[in-house]
Amino acid sequence: MASVARREMPLEPEEELELVESAQRGDRDAAGALLERHELAVFRACRRLLPQGEDVEGAVQETLLRALRSLTRFSGQGSFGGWLIAIAVNLCRDRLRRRRLVPFQPLEVGDDDAADPIAVLSSSEPSPERVAMARQAVERLRREVARLPRRQQEVFALRFFVGLDLAGIAEALAVDVGTVKTHLHRAVQRVRAAVEEANP
Amino acid sequence: MSIEHLTDDEMDLALIGEELSAGAAEHLSSCLVCRRRRDSFLAAVDGALGEDPDEATRTRVREQALTAWSGTSRKPHWVRWLAAAAAVVVLSLLPLVRSEFVSRPEFNTDAVLTEVDDILSRDPLSAVASEEVVEAIVPAPDVDGEGSWS
Repeated sequence: MASVARREMPLEPEEELELVESAQRGDRDAAGALLERHELAVFRACRRLLPQGEDVEGAVQETLLRALRSLTRFSGQGSFGGWLIAIAVNLCRDRLRRRRLVPFQPLEVGDDDAADPIAVLSSSEPSPERVAMARQAVERLRREVARLPRRQQEVFALRFFVGLDLAGIAEALAVDVGTVKTHLHRAVQRVRAAVEEANP
Repeated sequence: MSIEHLTDDEMDLALIGEELSAGAAEHLSSCLVCRRRRDSFLAAVDGALGEDPDEATRTRVREQALTAWSGTSRKPHWVRWLAAAAAVVVLSLLPLVRSEFVSRPEFNTDAVLTEVDDILSRDPLSAVASEEVVEAIVPAPDVDGEGSWS
């Protein structure tokens, strides 16, 4: 899967645990190495869980700082990445609650920030019609995701934008895997139907 | 290859990354239509994801977090313990210090002495009585030299 393939390869568990223990003793280099490994996932999560125009960099920085300050509370039972994403999700929820904003504001059509969806299409030399339909599909996907219930938005974003597997999502949201599957099925069903409608 | 294309439910399972039945998985691996259907959805997802932050941005954000952490929460443990111990000592001594201040009423020593002198001067018997009492308890020494204390 394309989006999952963009996820960075995780560290070996033993190697990661060593870094965590060193960081818990105050080793700045170890802490930096840990963050470097997982920060991209935090960026993606914050960007997709916060509304358009929200300060994503600030949210990422605050997430990283919160994690560093509570490092001693990380027991090492779950993955460090999942723990970090859980902090990011909670921070985004806090910000949304505080500002009472609606997440996933759909972007204007023709948004320059978006990657060209044509580049990742399997067909070569797409026709102008196909290009237009692919762009429309991206737009429909954004809009439909924005209309999902909050929990479905979260599982969709963590699965497709961050690249977590079901267990990782369950860990990050502190729910069981069955709950994740249920929300994800409903979300994908809706979003896929909308995308296929725009790009049959 | 089976001619039947994936159902919507099977396609959703494939998108989520869940395990498909053997027949469905085999079909997906060989059917251009179903693969294109799956890839179109994933292409839309990637389009919606947008660009990742560049290396400079990532480094800046990480370093800011690390610097803030270094400045506030990496004091040696003994400093925190020392501060806590000092706080405990101060708190435990506080009641004693307070009672010391409370149990010592302020008074003017000169005024008291003046008052005592005044009382004594108004009642000369008190001086006599005091001499008698002393003599009753401890006889006065023999003034002509015959007596002896020893």
